[in-house]
Amino acid sequence: MKRFFPIDSKSEGLTLGLILFFVLLMPLLNGLVPDGSAFHVSSFQLSVWGKYLCYAILAMSLNMLWGYTGLLCLGHCLFFALGGYAFGMYLMLMIGELGAYKSTLPDFMVFLGYNELPLHWKPFYSPVVAVLAVFLVPGIVAFVFGLLAFRSRIKGVYFSILTQALTYAAALLFFRNDFTFGGNNGFTDFKYIFGADIRSEGTARGLFLASGFMLLAVYWLIAWMLQTKFGKVQKAIRDSENRVRFSGYSTTHFKVFIFVLSAMIAGMAGALYVPQSGIINPGEMWPTKGLDIVVWVAVGGRGTKIGPIIGAVLVNLLKSWSTKAYPDTWLIILGCLFVFVVLFMPNGIVGLWAQGKDLWQRRKGAGITEPEEAAA
Amino acid sequence: MKTYTTLCPVFILVFASLFFVIPDARGDEKNARSLLVDIVNGDSVGQEAALEALADESDPVINAFYSAFRSGNIFLMSTADGQTQVLIKEVNDYSDLLTGEAVNPTGELSVARASRGLRRDLKRLVDLLDLNSPNRSKKIAAAEKLGLSQNADYLPELRKRLPQQTEKSVIKAFQEGIYITELKVGSLEEKMRAVKGLGKMKSLPAKGFLEALIEESAADEEANRKLMVEAKNALMMINSHQAIVEKVGTLFRGLSLGSVLLLVSYGLAITFGQMGVINMAHGEFIAIGGYTVYIIQNFFANQFGVGSTGYEWYFIISLPFAFLIAALAGAALERGLVQFLYSRPLESLLATWGVSMILQQIFRLQFGAANVSVSSPEWLSGSFSAGGVSMSYSRMFLIFFALFVVVLTYLLLNRTKWGLHVRATTLNRQMASNLGVPSARVNMLTFAFGSGLAGLAGAFISQIGNVGPSMGQTYIVDSFMVVVVGGVANLFGSAISSLGIGMIDQSLQPVLGPVMGKISVLFAIILFLQFRPGGLFPSRSRSLDD
Amino acid sequence: MDTHAPLYRDTDLVLSVESVTKSFDGFKAINDLNFYLGEGELRTIIGPNGAGKSTFMDLITGRTRPDEGTLTYHQADGHDIDLTKLEEYEINRLGIARKFQTPSVYNHHSVYDNFVLSLNRNRGVFPSLFYRETKEDKEEIEAVMELTRLDEKRDDMAGSLSHGQKQWLEIGMLLAQKPRILLIDEPAAGMSDEETDRTAELLISLKGEQSIMVVEHDMVFVRQIAERVTVLHRGHVLKEGSFSDVASDPTVKEVYLGRSKHD
Repeated sequence: MKRFFPIDSKSEGLTLGLILFFVLLMPLLNGLVPDGSAFHVSSFQLSVWGKYLCYAILAMSLNMLWGYTGLLCLGHCLFFALGGYAFGMYLMLMIGELGAYKSTLPDFMVFLGYNELPLHWKPFYSPVVAVLAVFLVPGIVAFVFGLLAFRSRIKGVYFSILTQALTYAAALLFFRNDFTFGGNNGFTDFKYIFGADIRSEGTARGLFLASGFMLLAVYWLIAWMLQTKFGKVQKAIRDSENRVRFSGYSTTHFKVFIFVLSAMIAGMAGALYVPQSGIINPGEMWPTKGLDIVVWVAVGGRGTKIGPIIGAVLVNLLKSWSTKAYPDTWLIILGCLFVFVVLFMPNGIVGLWAQGKDLWQRRKGAGITEPEEAAA
Repeated sequence: MKTYTTLCPVFILVFASLFFVIPDARGDEKNARSLLVDIVNGDSVGQEAALEALADESDPVINAFYSAFRSGNIFLMSTADGQTQVLIKEVNDYSDLLTGEAVNPTGELSVARASRGLRRDLKRLVDLLDLNSPNRSKKIAAAEKLGLSQNADYLPELRKRLPQQTEKSVIKAFQEGIYITELKVGSLEEKMRAVKGLGKMKSLPAKGFLEALIEESAADEEANRKLMVEAKNALMMINSHQAIVEKVGTLFRGLSLGSVLLLVSYGLAITFGQMGVINMAHGEFIAIGGYTVYIIQNFFANQFGVGSTGYEWYFIISLPFAFLIAALAGAALERGLVQFLYSRPLESLLATWGVSMILQQIFRLQFGAANVSVSSPEWLSGSFSAGGVSMSYSRMFLIFFALFVVVLTYLLLNRTKWGLHVRATTLNRQMASNLGVPSARVNMLTFAFGSGLAGLAGAFISQIGNVGPSMGQTYIVDSFMVVVVGGVANLFGSAISSLGIGMIDQSLQPVLGPVMGKISVLFAIILFLQFRPGGLFPSRSRSLDD
Repeated sequence: MDTHAPLYRDTDLVLSVESVTKSFDGFKAINDLNFYLGEGELRTIIGPNGAGKSTFMDLITGRTRPDEGTLTYHQADGHDIDLTKLEEYEINRLGIARKFQTPSVYNHHSVYDNFVLSLNRNRGVFPSLFYRETKEDKEEIEAVMELTRLDEKRDDMAGSLSHGQKQWLEIGMLLAQKPRILLIDEPAAGMSDEETDRTAELLISLKGEQSIMVVEHDMVFVRQIAERVTVLHRGHVLKEGSFSDVASDPTVKEVYLGRSKHD
């Protein structure tokens, strides 16, 4: 049975149960508890938490690459944004003639003087195409870039720097008006999603639930993969890529596969994020966003299944609280936290327990302890 | 510091020569003023004589007088002793036209009016004013302007003054003006001569006029065929010259962009290439340099006043400070953070990213979120132009400085003990340390030096770009690219790649526009690295499992 | 001496290296090298530092490509395969396994999993995803663990093993691949005398089943295992023959022993 329910420990099962409980509880508190009650969750709060869940999925997808395979991608925000844009195109077309210009064309196109919908936009009237594109567009970009990079054995910091350059170039491209994706302003003012009013409470609940279940599904997928031989090869690549290669595995194929899969999951997270945030613009693929994701994973604990979720949610909670409480210094707080984590918590929050135990044993002079997991 | 104090007198001499060579124009001004008073007071004969005499003057007071006269701001005031004093009103202040002293008008004022003829004469006078200017570039600009107007009235004035000119560039400008005017108003013979002459001097401003001439004569049946052929000939010569000028211009812009890239990435090449540390806060060290210049500029502005001789010094003075402050910040970062992460390059990347966030926010809190304004000193503004190519002094200075940095770094790395230690540590940190290289000290100094170079880069960027909290971010991706393309651990490679990238960027820009040009360069770099993952000059390592 | 004359034309060959040259930045690491490896042979390669031993191994395993010359693998079914066109993993799948100088094992996997990853099953992406361990696989792993005396450590992380144990683990991982050719780079480095002796025993016991190429510096070890020795010097075969032949050869003494004295 472990093959299909790849849960390692009781505490892991408990954590997953808590997440499931939270995912089910929040919409109930929104729908069933009356407005004035202290336990009521507003639709706004629901969508904020929905966004955090999307961030968590994004962090998990990066962790597949960085935590388990040792490939630090600084441009993961690109795949997130590409998925978001792909789904955003569908949402833009669903506005129909309800836009400011009462045209069938999206507002920004009218504003820029388009007379006709560009050809590559036309298939996006279909929700099926849009959902496919959410996976395919990031997947194809990752495939081409990954194949080129891994084939020529670009790795380590070079891979990181190149992925950063990739997302930088893409962001510059998306900032342009003539790239047909709305330039600076991107897409916003959505009205309908799959025929439902995007602002209704029901939609908010549906999107939150979808995000929550996707998170659990991605968790399951990652956990399942980890206990297959594929997962072992992944970690082996992180430890000694040459040995893997000289054991008859094409590490290029493995790395491309994991890169594409990770990009697709990031794209899906982006597609779930856009209707909940109500906007997507090129700022989402600016290099600093890519580094943000890395921060979440590092704070939570890379190379752990639950760490990225904890990191993404906690850092974003801290961010939203500190931007209000300390609007001037929150970046400094965040920066300090990050430096602290890198220096003193190499395995993030999840690793703290083991670190504490280690320290306790050393204090007691209990003898030699196992070396901590080395940095990837 | 000792060298610095010995260099001071040299700087003083250089500056003195820059600012005190302007010729003394007091006498001319006095003369001009009395002539102007004659124009206001005199009868028609006196006016004509005064106008005649003024034609050889060039004092700015003439210009001020003309605009005041036209707008009715020249007044006559009868003084107590029965004399008539001529006053000129600028904004709300009156001054004596004859002496230039400020006057508080006590008596009755009447507006002095000019007749239409006088006004026309004065306009001509003012237009021709700069032709007599002692300032060469003003003179050239005036001659060009008059030529481009193709006004027959000015032709004799230009012709009259041509033989008096001594400087080559001035003679050329006068001749060019004459020819261009002749294209329109001259006889056939003159036109013929003008066309030939313009072709010979490869006059870029004449291009449009020649094209118009050809078009005109093509429509005109009776036009002279020979003139047309000559005109086409001349146009061809000008066009090919223009192509060269554009190429040289691209080359210069590419060189200057390359120099910026070189300055911002050289420090990175040292910290990343020689030490293996990815310093994401490198961009913020650039900003530290920029803000240092800003602070010193403000200090000088308060001490000496903007535009004073002392103020002109601020930029040179701020260079060592920009270097030192950024180097200190670098040393602090190395001691406080980076030294613990030498074996973990990806983690040094993350930790320095945190530092970068902190620094940016500190800049924002300290200096505001908007860009601060840094002005260029007089001697760095303006540009040098030759043969239609214009090169700004600040960029020329930048190119030379980049060269200086390359040479200095080379000497430091190859001719000093510290350099030897750095190179040894680069090759094998463990071994170098075992052999008695004080690696902690060497690391700190190397990191400080790399950061100091970033500070210098920031100081220069303050002269050609913006200084703001996120200025470093603009350059960080580019500079990583430069280092990776050049081949890590190879400073020479970084120099070549920054110039190469600068050139390619600038030659793509006219075709693709600035943003698409940049994007193409980025994608080209990504593709380039597919084929040469080690960059232009890869460093070969013998270890198997790297 | 005519180095071009094939030495083993009459027996079954597994590998022929002919006229191979490889230079780095103008330095010829391998210079017109000819080399033949017979079926089931145990060959030792020695040579001073910089003789091109590691580069030679890199060339066979596809890590670097030759500038000139051919590297041919003779399959058991009689077909010849050009190794210069293949990637490392493809060469490995043909049955050429390599041990690195520094032990390279998967530190964050258990000893058992290190072996699982080394079995020569289908090693594609999807087969790895849906791989299930069979009884046969288990038995193979048990056998190798016994051979390398690691069965008690099966659940330990490879990273926690001693240096000698890691060397053995890597050799075991190579054996789990069931290769036809074993390339072994300095197996005795960092081992105790007892471990060295056992390694020599192991290699000798493998002789006949697999062709083995050992690069080694430790002359005591070489004497223990050596059957046929090839001396490389400046990327070229200087001498080939039995250990005593080679050891008594004056030119070999000069370039190899003589030079190491002055080092």
